[in-house]
Amino acid sequence: MADLAPQVNYLAGFCCPLGGLAAGKPRVLCLGAEIFLSTGSELVYVYDQEAGLLTAVYRFPGQVWHLELLALRRALYVLCAHRGIYCMSLDQASRSVSQDDGDDGDSEDSQDGESPSRMIPVDPDACVLHDATLCTFTVLDNLLITLAQGPARWKVQLFECPCPGEDPLLKGQIGEVELSTPPAGSPREPAAPYFLPVLCCMSPPGSRVAHSHLHGSRGFTLEETLFGLLFGTDASLLESPVILCGLPDGQLCCVVLQTLVTSGLAPGDSKALVKILHHLEEPVVFIGALRTEPLAEDVEDSHSDCLVALGHHGRTLAVKASWDEAGNLVPELREYCLPGPVLCAACGGGGRMYHSTPSDLCVVDLARGGTPWDPMQPDTGPGGLPSLLCPASLSVCSVVTLSVSSRAPEGGTELLALSAKGRLMTCRLDLNSETPSPTRVTAANTGRKIKELLSGIGTVSERVSFLKKAVDQRNKALMCLNEAMNVSCALLSSREGPRPISCTTTTTWSRLQLQDMLMATCLLENSSDFSLDRGWALCIQVLTSSRALELDSASSAVTYTIPVDRLGPGSRREVTLPLGPGEDGMLDLPVTVSCALFYSLREVVGGALTPSDCSKDPSLDMCPLDVLPEQEGICLPLSEHTVDMLQCLRFPSLATPHMQAPSLLSPVSDPVDTFLGACLGPGSKPAGPASLRAAYLPPSVAAIKVSAELLRATVGDSYSGVSLCCATLQWLLAENAAVDIVRARALSSVQGVAPDGTDVHLIIREVAVTDLCPAGPLQAVEIQVESSSLANMCQAHHAIIGRMQRMVVEQAARGSSPPDLRMQYLHQIQANHELPTASSHDLVVTAGQSPTRSAGLDQRHPLCSEVRPRTQTLDPKAGALLPERPAEAMEEQGFWS
Amino acid sequence: MRKRTDSPPLGWELRPGRAYPVAAPSKCAGPTSATRSHETPLGSSTPHASCLDLWRQRNDQLVRQAKVAQGLSLRRQQLAQDALEGFRELLHCLQVLETQEQLEPRLECGLSALWDSVLHSSSLLPELLPALHHLAALQAALWLTTDHLGDLTLLLQTLNGSQSGASEDLLLLLKTWNLPAEESDAPLTIQDARGLRDVLLTASAYRQGLQELITGRLSRALSSLHEAASGLCPQPVLVQVYTALGTCLSKMGNPQRALLYLLSALKGGSTWGPALLEASRLYRQLGNTAAELESLELLVETLSITHGSEAPQLLIEVELLLPRPEPASPLYCGTQSQAKYLLASRCLQTGRAEDAAEHYLDLLALLLDGSEPKISPPPCPTGPCMPEVFLEAAAALIRAGRAQDALTVCEELLSRMSSLLPKMPQPWGNARKGTKESPHCPPWVSATHLLRGQAWVQLGAQKEAISEFSRCLELLFRATPTDKEQGPASNCEQGCTSDVALQQLRAAALISRGLGWVTSGQDTKALQDFLLSVQMCPGNQDASFHLLQTLRRLDRRDEAIALWRRLEAQTKLPQENATWSLPLYLETCLSWICPHDRETLLEEFQTSLLEPCDL
Repeated sequence: MADLAPQVNYLAGFCCPLGGLAAGKPRVLCLGAEIFLSTGSELVYVYDQEAGLLTAVYRFPGQVWHLELLALRRALYVLCAHRGIYCMSLDQASRSVSQDDGDDGDSEDSQDGESPSRMIPVDPDACVLHDATLCTFTVLDNLLITLAQGPARWKVQLFECPCPGEDPLLKGQIGEVELSTPPAGSPREPAAPYFLPVLCCMSPPGSRVAHSHLHGSRGFTLEETLFGLLFGTDASLLESPVILCGLPDGQLCCVVLQTLVTSGLAPGDSKALVKILHHLEEPVVFIGALRTEPLAEDVEDSHSDCLVALGHHGRTLAVKASWDEAGNLVPELREYCLPGPVLCAACGGGGRMYHSTPSDLCVVDLARGGTPWDPMQPDTGPGGLPSLLCPASLSVCSVVTLSVSSRAPEGGTELLALSAKGRLMTCRLDLNSETPSPTRVTAANTGRKIKELLSGIGTVSERVSFLKKAVDQRNKALMCLNEAMNVSCALLSSREGPRPISCTTTTTWSRLQLQDMLMATCLLENSSDFSLDRGWALCIQVLTSSRALELDSASSAVTYTIPVDRLGPGSRREVTLPLGPGEDGMLDLPVTVSCALFYSLREVVGGALTPSDCSKDPSLDMCPLDVLPEQEGICLPLSEHTVDMLQCLRFPSLATPHMQAPSLLSPVSDPVDTFLGACLGPGSKPAGPASLRAAYLPPSVAAIKVSAELLRATVGDSYSGVSLCCATLQWLLAENAAVDIVRARALSSVQGVAPDGTDVHLIIREVAVTDLCPAGPLQAVEIQVESSSLANMCQAHHAIIGRMQRMVVEQAARGSSPPDLRMQYLHQIQANHELPTASSHDLVVTAGQSPTRSAGLDQRHPLCSEVRPRTQTLDPKAGALLPERPAEAMEEQGFWS
Repeated sequence: MRKRTDSPPLGWELRPGRAYPVAAPSKCAGPTSATRSHETPLGSSTPHASCLDLWRQRNDQLVRQAKVAQGLSLRRQQLAQDALEGFRELLHCLQVLETQEQLEPRLECGLSALWDSVLHSSSLLPELLPALHHLAALQAALWLTTDHLGDLTLLLQTLNGSQSGASEDLLLLLKTWNLPAEESDAPLTIQDARGLRDVLLTASAYRQGLQELITGRLSRALSSLHEAASGLCPQPVLVQVYTALGTCLSKMGNPQRALLYLLSALKGGSTWGPALLEASRLYRQLGNTAAELESLELLVETLSITHGSEAPQLLIEVELLLPRPEPASPLYCGTQSQAKYLLASRCLQTGRAEDAAEHYLDLLALLLDGSEPKISPPPCPTGPCMPEVFLEAAAALIRAGRAQDALTVCEELLSRMSSLLPKMPQPWGNARKGTKESPHCPPWVSATHLLRGQAWVQLGAQKEAISEFSRCLELLFRATPTDKEQGPASNCEQGCTSDVALQQLRAAALISRGLGWVTSGQDTKALQDFLLSVQMCPGNQDASFHLLQTLRRLDRRDEAIALWRRLEAQTKLPQENATWSLPLYLETCLSWICPHDRETLLEEFQTSLLEPCDL
């Protein structure tokens, strides 16, 4: 197909947005040597092909969606989005040419698009039709046909067309009809359509408008036979032009222009006036007509004998008139599938149709179906349509708008094309020459040849760079996927021992603005051989237990996703996030912090699935990426950490004088409260309910007794040399920042402050338990929790129990055996406690004897059931060891050793 | 021509936080935000001129200007236009305020729900009532044009304070709508609520009357229309109301009273198409053909005048609230070509062949002549299809004695459609050789040949006439297509493809050819054709009469007597051929080939044929 290689000439480059020009809105038209061009922005350029320079740039008040030329009247009509139609005289345009010619005639200047000095703002008076809903239009002699998005339906309107310089307002609407289908989008707010509808004017040969309509891009003259067949006897008899509308929903319908004329303002009856010809079932992007049969010798002007319509995805309709065996006139209708998505198309001479996709500009020959080499095609009768279309590549990619130039060379075709990168070019096709004739080499010839070769190289290189980019993207995505696989394997295969990638969580208090916040610090450490690259993210989920006082509230989880931007082997990254207290000053403990690594397939693979220059194709938004659901990716859990009350306690009383801790701020930082508190001054009684309770109600107390032996076995290794009470306290506060001071001072009781500001008192003493063991009294350690706030007491109690549970499980794993216990007595104790509080038996054993009446109240309080230890967090192994009521079992086991 | 400047529509700039007038190109000045209007700007020299006051000043000034400007002179129109511009600016100010107020989410819930919530809120300030009623009147106007009558009735019921189950009659509700008096210090308005209510009353009475007229509840329509006519009614609307009244009365069987209303409608200023059309219908009903045709002529003339653009209306008038005339409405008079066609066909039907021919030629010129800049629609889709118009024109021309012109018209039709006609493999000679089925041809092509034959008959060229009739018959006796849907081309052919019409067409062609043979003295051939036509269409008595005559000429007495007896029996039966609805050209054609004096023929036959037999 060597003869199809076009001679491509670059004429000029125009500004285009970053992603390149989108198809659908740019237009290029040509009249003589002048080229009128819009790129979809507010500008319309006029380029002189002979002088090779940009002669004028018009600035419109909105995006330009459509251009039409009326050569006879020398007028340019411009549709401005959401504004209306503007009409400009071409002579006016040429005036500005002569005015600008003096400045510089350098053609190089046109390369950088518009120079601001030549930008001519368009006079608002040039607007001949104000209508914000217009989507497209076409002009025909003295008629202006518009297609507007009505409130419910598409609306075709017919106006008498004003000349430039005449009375600017239209003489009035002549007719109107609504099409049967509603436009997409809500009727309230018609959105800017992705695909504009297409209008095309078909005239019968005898029509007076057919003769005057010379260079319109959208007008064709059809042969009488096809015309009558498609549009009916009346249209042929009246010799009335017909408007074809191609809608974004795929409908192809027609309106006989002369029947559209109505009296007054009454809209026509759409059932009688609008005829649906076909349904392409994809957005119609082009309607045109072709001459497929060779002309008879004596016929001067050629009329098209084949109607074509192109859908966005490449579905093509071709209609011709033919006769059946009986001699009746019947339409021959054929659908083809061309490679899509089709950006634009144009009809050329000799039955050729050009259509552009993002990767190529193709030509199909409807006269011979692209298969001229097989004349024995069985089902292609004389005058019939080919059964198959073979598109031939012209090796020009990403052409967003096309037009067949009126300055075609002898026997060939010249196309004007605008590429997605904003380059205006001409493609000269010499389709008739089968073999290149030997040409004599002259100097001028050589120059031209070199120029052609260079521009050919330019086209090829543009295409190569596009393809290369796509390949690169895919390679990169594959590499990323490979690495992600390595990381996942490393993490999943090392269940035992230290994991190659770990995340540890610690908590500290710090002051943010006016409030003390409990901060969690997650340290992500990569000790594997692979690096975590783009696409990996650290997900930290903070799960807050439901508030004790609100029974019905569910626990809430917040997930933070932090992209890991290249974490090489051996490096670490720290993430700090606030845990609370929240705005209400409450911190609902315990809080569980779970860390996981997430790998987003969408981010890495998505780019490769969408080639870069298809991204401006709106319909592709929904195509390949749908393969990947929104949340698709790989999730690798790393660690889980529970923050309980013991870790959150602060001890201002322990602060050493030289490192005076800043005074604790009440987390309830209501400025009014602070102000009132300050006004009341020291000594005066605070008025809040909490402080009232602290003043008048005795504190809640809970006590836990644990076997001293068991504790010693747990604690003994690391806390030798101090009393068992001190060691127990240190063990309890091991994850608290204050453990060092506790150890240094060898404390056995400590006064702490809970996150909400109330006091929590931990007292540890050694006691002896009699009656439980037949062998005599047992040595035990009593841990007493005391707080004015019941909630805090419960949370602290819960935290202690959690540790006890862990301890018991560890000891049981070591295989120590329980001592001989009087089970009966234990049961008796439990039964005593269970009687009054049937609903809260979990607490029974652990709650010790309260010195005051309130302790009994505590036990009866139904809320205490919330203190239940969370067995779910334990290993299944440990869970199997535990009976149904874990707290009960714990005490039982606690006396084993 | 006025030149617009590109300054922002507001005369001031938006400055958040501070509100003060800015010296701007426009004469209108004011602060940004009414929401902050009570915060008097600190540095302002006029501490009491809040933006609301400024807005009102400007408003009142514009209202005065607009009230002065009502008139037709160019200067006044210019003034009104300026006032309109000014109002637009003021509106824009309000819209700026509205966007600051974030009203959008509330607007989502629909207008009627919004009205509901406003009217049922307990804390409605009494000083807001006049403004609220005024707004309700505007809402009513809007809902009237968009046909939300249910919403409108509900709103009025609520405003009237009536309980549920109260009157649903919109007119009654409008009449009893008690508008609170405007406060004296309220801002000036161009159109007050009372005026608006009167306009609403007239418009809704008229709309209601029209609707009832269409649905056939005539007495109610009459009372509604009388209501509209008695209200505040500008002249153009009064003309429409009178026309509707005329239509209503003529439907009720009061043609004389109807005529009176139509005449007063026609006297009311500019000539009004629908009234003329209705008058023509009435005259036709009354049998006054001259008056009927005269009104149709006037209608054509009226419709040929393009009405110029009207002066922009500043106020809400009754005309604005009226529905657009639809083809179903009695006030729809169609386009000029439709009226012309009606006139022409009526002329042809009433036997005024010369006039009919002229009107048909005018119509064809109107439709087909490309020299005029204006294009005209065909009488389609309600009327006949275009080929029928051609055929009727030809029939009218033949009837008017202009056979040559009729031939030209037929020629034109055939030449225009030549490309759409089926391909004849061998048009004349060896057609019989091919045994394959012949292509289907639209019936109007055959009819064209029939009319051409008739034209030749009139010109005295029997040979050409007979060949045309033969051609017609050849096309007619071809196989009709089994499947009726033949693609998009067969849209207008339902009218002429009815079996009765096709039968009559065949009979007409056979009789015409038979008459041709008779004239050229070939009685046997004529006999064959007449026999065929009687077989083809036994109900057609014309064929029998012609057959009878031919039989008598050929002296075949027995057959003639048998036929005569059958005919006698038939003529005694009631005639029922009036039920057929044939195309007009075919009816005309059939009237030519009808034997002129059947009765005398029968009597003559009786005396000349039977008496010798009885003897």
